[in-house]
Parts: sequence; C-alpha cells; structure tokens
Amino acid sequence: MLGATLTTQEGALGAALLLIAAALALAAPVLWTGDPLAMIGRPLLSPFADASLPLGTDRLGRDIAAGIVHGARESLFTAVTVAVVALLVGSSLGTIAGYLGGLADECIMRIADAVQTVPSFLLALAIVSAAGPSASGVIAALAASAWTAPARIVRAEVLSLRQLAFVDASRLYGRHSLAIAFTVVLPNALAPVIALAAIIVAGAILSESALAFLGLADPNRASWGAMIAEGRSVLRTAPHVILAPGLALLSTVLAVSLLGEGVAKAVARRA
Amino acid sequence: MNRALRVVARRCIAAVPTFLLVALAAFALLEAAPGDAADAYLAQTGGDLGFAAELRARLGLAATWPERLLGFFGSLLGLNLGQSVIFNRPVLAVLGERLPNTLLLMSATILVATGLGVTLGILAGARPGGVRDRVLSTAALTLLAMPNFWLSLLLILGFVVKLGWFPIGGIRTIGAQLPGLAAGFDVLHHLVLPAIALGAGYIAIYQRTLRAGMIEAWRGDHVRAAHARGVPRRAVIWRAVARPALLPVVVLFGQQMGALVGGSVVVETVFSIPGMGRLAYEAVVGRDALLLVGVLLTATCVVLLANLIVDLLLVRLDPRIGAADA
Amino acid sequence: MNRIRLPRRALLLSTAGAAAATQFPQRARAQVPRRGGTLVVAADTEPRNLNPAIVASNGVFYVASKVIEPLAEMSASGDGLAPRLATAWQGSPDGRSATFTLRDGVTWHDGKPFTSADLAFSALEVWRKLQNLGRLVFKDLEAVETPDSRTAILRFAKPTPFQLIKNALPSLTAVLPRHVFEGTDINANPANQKLIGTGPFRFVEHRPGEYYRLERNPNYWEAGRPYLDAIIYRVLPDRSAVAAALEADQIQLCAFSAVPLTDLARLAAVPGVVVVPGGYDGITYQLTVEINHRRKELADVRVRRAIAHAIDRDFVVKTLFLGYAKASTGPIPKFDTQFYTADVAATPFDVARANALLDEAGYARGSNGVRFQLRLLPAPWFEQTRQMGDYLRQALRAIGIDAQIVANDPAAHTRAVYTDHNFDLAIGSPVYRNDPAISTTILYQSGLPTGVPFSNQYGYASAAMDEVIGKAAISVDATERSQLYRGFQRRAAEELPLLNVVEFTFITVARSKVQNVANNPRWATSHWADAWLSG
Repeated sequence: MLGATLTTQEGALGAALLLIAAALALAAPVLWTGDPLAMIGRPLLSPFADASLPLGTDRLGRDIAAGIVHGARESLFTAVTVAVVALLVGSSLGTIAGYLGGLADECIMRIADAVQTVPSFLLALAIVSAAGPSASGVIAALAASAWTAPARIVRAEVLSLRQLAFVDASRLYGRHSLAIAFTVVLPNALAPVIALAAIIVAGAILSESALAFLGLADPNRASWGAMIAEGRSVLRTAPHVILAPGLALLSTVLAVSLLGEGVAKAVARRA
Repeated sequence: MNRALRVVARRCIAAVPTFLLVALAAFALLEAAPGDAADAYLAQTGGDLGFAAELRARLGLAATWPERLLGFFGSLLGLNLGQSVIFNRPVLAVLGERLPNTLLLMSATILVATGLGVTLGILAGARPGGVRDRVLSTAALTLLAMPNFWLSLLLILGFVVKLGWFPIGGIRTIGAQLPGLAAGFDVLHHLVLPAIALGAGYIAIYQRTLRAGMIEAWRGDHVRAAHARGVPRRAVIWRAVARPALLPVVVLFGQQMGALVGGSVVVETVFSIPGMGRLAYEAVVGRDALLLVGVLLTATCVVLLANLIVDLLLVRLDPRIGAADA
Repeated sequence: MNRIRLPRRALLLSTAGAAAATQFPQRARAQVPRRGGTLVVAADTEPRNLNPAIVASNGVFYVASKVIEPLAEMSASGDGLAPRLATAWQGSPDGRSATFTLRDGVTWHDGKPFTSADLAFSALEVWRKLQNLGRLVFKDLEAVETPDSRTAILRFAKPTPFQLIKNALPSLTAVLPRHVFEGTDINANPANQKLIGTGPFRFVEHRPGEYYRLERNPNYWEAGRPYLDAIIYRVLPDRSAVAAALEADQIQLCAFSAVPLTDLARLAAVPGVVVVPGGYDGITYQLTVEINHRRKELADVRVRRAIAHAIDRDFVVKTLFLGYAKASTGPIPKFDTQFYTADVAATPFDVARANALLDEAGYARGSNGVRFQLRLLPAPWFEQTRQMGDYLRQALRAIGIDAQIVANDPAAHTRAVYTDHNFDLAIGSPVYRNDPAISTTILYQSGLPTGVPFSNQYGYASAAMDEVIGKAAISVDATERSQLYRGFQRRAAEELPLLNVVEFTFITVARSKVQNVANNPRWATSHWADAWLSG
C-alpha cells in the first residue's frame, strides 16, 4: 500500500514534507543542543541578523529556530501517540460493540454519542484541567474525543463481517466470542480505519497547538502553540515571532493531510 | 408536519440520556481537577481560614461529594439552572448575556463559510482537473491546515495593524450609542475577521465536498442529456451538477455545528468576543460545574436545532429522504 | 497638587526625547480644574463581591473606592495620610484604644446621615468578623464606644499598635451604612453589588460583561468635588484591545498595567497619550520564590542561599519587567521609609558562589551534571510570574538543579501550594499593604493552619523569627516597633525562608486630557474626587 500511496501526487508531496519534518525533529538534539527554552540572546532579535540565531529571538531572548525543531519533536510525538491510542481504544470498543451487540453495544454507543455531543475542544480543555497540563494529560484529552470515529467505523465493519462464513467456521471450532472478534474479525475491518489515522494526526497537531496557545501545554518542552502565544504580545513590533511557528504548524499539518489523501486515493484505486 | 414533529420528539427524547451523561462527566471532571471554586476566588483576594471556610460554606463546597452531586442535579432541574459561583448570578442569566454574541458570530461564520465555500467549490468543480481547480484545491488544503488562532493573528496583523480596516476586537464599538441599522453594521464590521478565522476550515471543507459532489454529478446521465438538449454550459453546471451536490454540504453543515461552538474558544479569546466558547473556558478555570453544564446544554440544543433544520431542508431537497420514517 | 515623576528610563523608552517632553500632561499650576465630563476607563475583572469592607482587594477597590470611603487615604505629602471620613485620630499609650473624630456634614447616598454608629457597626460586624484581611488586624477589637455622633473609640482586648491601625486605614477601613446592613445576612446583602456609600460618586448600574457606571454625588462632603460628572468602567479583559481602545480615544485611562509592558514605548509616542508611572507605591507587589522546607535539600539554608545567588535580579528587572521594577532586598519594599532598612545580608548574583554552597552542603553533581530535581510551580496570574518560572528553571540549571515546571490554573495552584503543599519551589506575588503585620509577616510566622492562602505554608518554623514577629505585633511604641521590623528584615535575609527577587508596581496609561492622575500612592484604588478632564 505504501508504494501505491507514493505514486499519487498528494502522497508523494505529503511524504516528502513529512520526511523533512521528521528529519529535523530527529536532528534537533544533535544540531540544536541545549535547552530550546533557554534565554540566550538579545530579546526580539530579527531573523538573519545574527548567524547563530537564524530565525531571531522572542520576547525573552529564546532561539526561535531551536524552538521550531524541538517543537517538531513534541508535536509529531504527541499527535502520533494520540492517533495510536485513539485507534487502539476505538477499534477495541468498536469490535466489542459490533460483535457482542446488545447491552455492551448500547452502552458503548451511548457513551460515544455523549462524547460526540460535547464540542471536542471543550472536552479536551476540561480533561487537561483535570489531569494537569502534562504530556500525558494532553494525549489523554485529545484521544478522548478522537476514539469515537474509529469505533463507529470498526463497529459497522464488524457488523457486516459478523455474518460471513469464516466467522461461523471459527465459532464451530469452539473459540470464545471475543477471541474471534479480535483475532479474526478486527484485522479485516482495519483498512478504512488506517485512512482515518492521518486525519486524527492532523487534528491532534492542531488541537494540541491550540491548547498550548491557551497555556495548557507542558511548560518544560518547546511548543509551537506556546511560541505563538508568546509572540502575540509583540505582534505589532516583532511579527516574526509568530510567523515561524505558524508556518511550521501549517506545513506539518499539510504534509500529514496530503499523505492521508494519498493513502485514500491508493485505497480507492485498489477497490 | 406530523412526521416532522415525530422526528423532533424522537430526537429530543434520545438526547436526554446523552445529556445526563454529559452533565455527569462535567461534574466528575471538575471534581477531579485540583482546587475548587473557592480556591479560584481566593487566588484573587486572599484571606484567612475563616474567610475561606465561610466562602466554602456559602458556595456549598464543604459538603461531601455525593451531597454535592445531588445538589448539582437538583440545581440543574431547577428553572434557572442554578447559581453560577463565578458570576454570582443565575446560570441562565449568564448564558443569556453571552448567547447572542455567539449566535451572531456563528451566523456570520456560516454565511462566510457556506457562501465562499460553495462559490469556490462550484468554480473548482466546473472544470475538474483544470488549472483553477488545482489552485483552489491546494488553497483549500492550506486553509484546512492552518491553526485558527494563527490565522486570527495574521488577519489582525494584516487588516488591523497594517491596513487599519477593521477593529482589533470586541463585538461593538465601545461607548458609541449607535441607532438601529448603524449598530447592526458596527457589529458586522467587528465580526468580519473572526468569522473568516473561524470559518476558514469550513470554507475548505465545503469547497472540497461540493467539488467532489460535482465530479460525481458530472458522470451522471442527466448531464449528458442536458448537453444533448443543447442547454448552455452555465445552466448545466448550476442545475444538473451543482444543485444535487449541495445535498452533502447541507448534511455536513449540521454535523459541523458542534465543532463550531468548540472551535470558537480560541477565536473568541484572540478577538475578545464575550461568547459561549470563552465562557466554557472561564467555567473550567473557575471550577464552575453548573455553568459549564449550562454552556454544554446550550451548545447541544444549538446542535440539535441545526440538525433538525438540516433534516427538514433535506426532506425538501430530496423527497426520497424521510419517506422511510412514515 | 501633583508632582511629575517621570524617571529617566521612561524618557529613554520613548522614541524621541522631544516628543516625550510634549507628552507631559498639562500640569501648569495656573490651570483651574474644569468641572464636567465623563471618564471612561478600562476594567478587567467583575468581582463577585464588590464590597471593599468585606473584600479588601485591588480589583474591588478600583471600582468601589469611589463609592465607599475609608477613614483616611494615603497621601504623597505630610505624614502619609489624608483625612477622608475621619478628620483626626489618636491612639492611647497602652495600645488598648484608638479614638477617631469623624467628619461633619457627611450623608449616605440614600440621604441618611453618616454617624459614628456606622463606624461601630462596620468595625465590629464587618472588619473584624468578615473582612479577608481585617480579621487579622482587628482580631482583638472587643467594643466600639460612640459617645457622640462624631466620635468613635475602638477598644481592644489586647494592646494593638496604633501604628498598625494607622497604616491599615486606607485599605481596611471602608465604612458601610449600618441602616442597610444591620440585621441582614451581610455576605448576601444586595448592597454588596449595588453599593451605597458616602463617596464622591454614586453607584448607578452594572451591565455584566459590559460596564460599571458611576455618577457624581451632588451631596458630597467636599465642596465643589468631584469634578467629573461620571465614570464608566468598560470591561475589557483582553489587553491588546485596551491599547487599541486607548489609542482610538474610546477609553481615556487604563490602570494596573492593563496595557502590556511591551506596548508602552509605542504608546508613549502616540500624540495625546501619556504613560504615567508612579501612583502605585502604596500597592507594591513583590516577586518571591516560595520554598517548601519539607524537602530535605531545601531545609538547608545553604541550598536556599545558593538559589538566591543564582538569580540575576538585573536580568529579571530588565527583561521580564522591561525596567518597571526594582531589585528587592527583603520583605519590605524600599518605598516604606517607616520600616525599610537596606542593612541586611545581601545575595548578589554569583553563580560560582552558588555552586560552592551546594557542594559544601553535600549535593555533588551527578554524571549528567544534575545535583537533584525540584518541582517549580509559577503562579499563573501574572505574565511575569510565569516568565520568572521559565527564567528560574534556566538559572537553576546553571547550578545543577533540574527544575520541572508544573503549570496550573489559579485554582489548582492555590490548592497545590497553600493546602496540599504539593510543590518544592513556587513563584508568588504577595502584596505589601503598608504595614508588615497586614499581609507580610504571615509569610514568615509558624503555626498557621493548612489552607490559608498567601501565608507560611512552607513548613518553615523559626523560634527567633516568631519571637520578632510576636513582639512587633504588640509593640505600641512606634519607634520600637519600626526597630523590631528592621530586625525582622535582617532575620529574613539571614534565614531566607523565601526569596524576594524584585518589587514591582504598575503603570497607568491615559489620554493627556485626564488630570490629577497618580497624585497619591494608592491612586488607582482611591477616590478620584479631584480627577478632571481638560478641554
């Protein structure tokens, strides 16, 4: 499937951008050593004024370039973790609901309804306030609303697959219901869910940066959203402070979305 | 009409258990959050233990959590949804002050998003694969990828700081007692930038959905039939291709309402619009569970209403829908 | 008579010296105050309880002190106090009573006459029982005698220093009308929002989320005052909106640094706008590093001193406060000449010394250069307290301490530090209220119950410190008391239970037509009866 994705224009472009972002993120601790949050330079230095501070400094004298690359690590790591958690939790719950039906199905779907009724960002806000603005709190908050879509998709797939022959065959062999559900049915239901992953990652990057903008990110780590929030007070005098992290966010989300599009196209072509 | 009423009634009844779950979750989350409403207030005023104790007793925070849970649901069922601890006014009153601002903002956003989204979608879908289409599709993807708070700041930088065409924030000019129509234009003037910032993503979504629908429709038989009849291209695009493609957009519109209320938190913060999104944030920070639930209830009602309107619209647009209900 | 106090740094900040000179408000002595006009100012909070007699806090005073008056207000001249509702005051030599002579011809906004019975009621039922800060200052008040309608004698069960009472007059003695509050549940009385007082302005209306409106009191006791017809407080929680509104002349004044410090230089250059520093010395805030002595490492004074040496106060003043702060030497700010002494042990910025102290205390660096880890909780309510957290983390890394910042919202922070003691270091911002006994010594004395915000919840207990504080609390001789508080400062500098980094006040930015701005040390929270708008 990866090959098929890369033959699409979107997939290729997305993958390329993402590769650059990942490379920067991995290189961060090597090329930009030290703490990205250290106040090392003259405050509000313009970009390109100093060779060692290519993107300038912010209000407190922090190196913006260091913030960008270290922020890439945080963003990508958080977003991917959110997607993995959401997919795992969602798929499991969807499988249980679809396969077992009855009360389990009713309960899980009711909870999913409730979660989808609440605007997802508000839910994330409430959870981060309860759990504290740490990396795990933010991941939990973002995954809490992201699991419903995979759950519904998997449930729908499971419902349709349930009737098929190979499931009956497994049952004849005397295997336990849930074991059948997870080992036989779920792997076949996964294809449409994978395409969803890109959407979840893109959404998580944006939501995480919005939470950081409101001051709800881990303050010990570089964060693009927090950089933009810092730059807000000097918007008139030093707009470069918000431009760099914003562009970084834009390109990363674009990359993920393009990759997602490529995957969707590849899947559609195959079908 | 009967059918519509039945749909409405069913929707409302189905919403009740959902809503109770939401209320319970809100209460539980704010309980789990460290510190209570008294701590939030004391952070501003200080005071000794007696002052703090008196405050907690007055706010009902000294009771055990089962007692407070019962009190919480009791207040919810009361007419004015209980007393907000932050504002010291009935929750319903606070909601009433903020709701009009949010409705204004949301209406402006929907207008902007649907108007621009549909137009750009038609422009792209008129000639799929063409230059215009590729440019617009890339632009749409870029808009989707932009964080809305960053877009807000860019809009402020460009249109407020550099060009000075729009005010920096708020929902109306301070201190100006403008007569009716002028006041309306003043509000609209203030809402242009926030509406664009909030609606940018939706412009992109509607554009893409409409375009996809149009591509689908281009393949249909009736398009060829229209061509054969010699109908001018413009008319073909509108009647045979674009209009049917509007259906999914309408459906999408209903689904997006909830996200709109949530996404407005950040835009309302940047443009200092006293709306419901910001109110929810204040409720969380101030540990005001009743207020938070009030906001969520209002948001749910708005979403419900929007979906109802969408359903009714769909029934009109496509007679096949809804017939199954009868 | 107001004095222009524009320190050189403000001049340096404006883009052209000449332009700055024309920014001075017209304060020629010959100018006669003009009567009339409405002053529109920016407000950023709408307090739950607007009654300054119950909630003595700056957010409340900003609106309420124009309506409800104290017995005396701070003054820039003379002995520092200007009579308001009290015209004369005297303390007995044994500290057991304080006599106040009240002003004649004062009426409440609802027409009833103001008498000593109102003072008696306020002191006994409100200041002593309900007020957040008065509960401590007036705890020994047992009775108030009112021999006539113009005299009130406060009787104390234990000797209470008159110096303390005098220092507390501006902020803790707002007088309430007895006929409105007596016999009611005072905390739930609607007059806590619809204020009734004796002040130069009457409370007219509050539209939630929009504005407060005050109007001239035509029967004010000071003839010819107030000059203004009305004051409108526009609720503007967002600071960039405040700056824009000021430039557009939609508001004429904003106090408490409502405009971000980074915008001040730019605003000073706008014609018609003036940056007015000063007028806040009476409400000086302090930036402190609060320390949890329950941590073994932090219980060692050498470690605390090392942390103090690691902080570059100059950097904090210049970068975090953009020059609008002063390095602090201890718990009492330089402004308060009654008590301040500079003769205390200093901890200048010296990273080498800090490292040496930590080595000496036995905390060697590990293989990764880290001696030990700490949790740092910066208070979230000021931009500068949060940034101080970021800076302190960096400063501590230089001496081998790995500080992890925990970001909390106000409720969680207050709970974590003052109730759960779930912190190692915290950044705080206590207010100095012109007498150490009001809200400062409580940060140093031991034996306090858990849960009292802004007090010694640090697990710090020093018999010597408690003794100094205890003696000063009952010392009725003003000279002796001042001397004792100098001793308090010396002990604080020796034991360093918490670190005082800088002291800071605020900036007022106004249109140049607003006159008599910042003419007393608590201007923003005082009466504004003499404020006026020129042409």
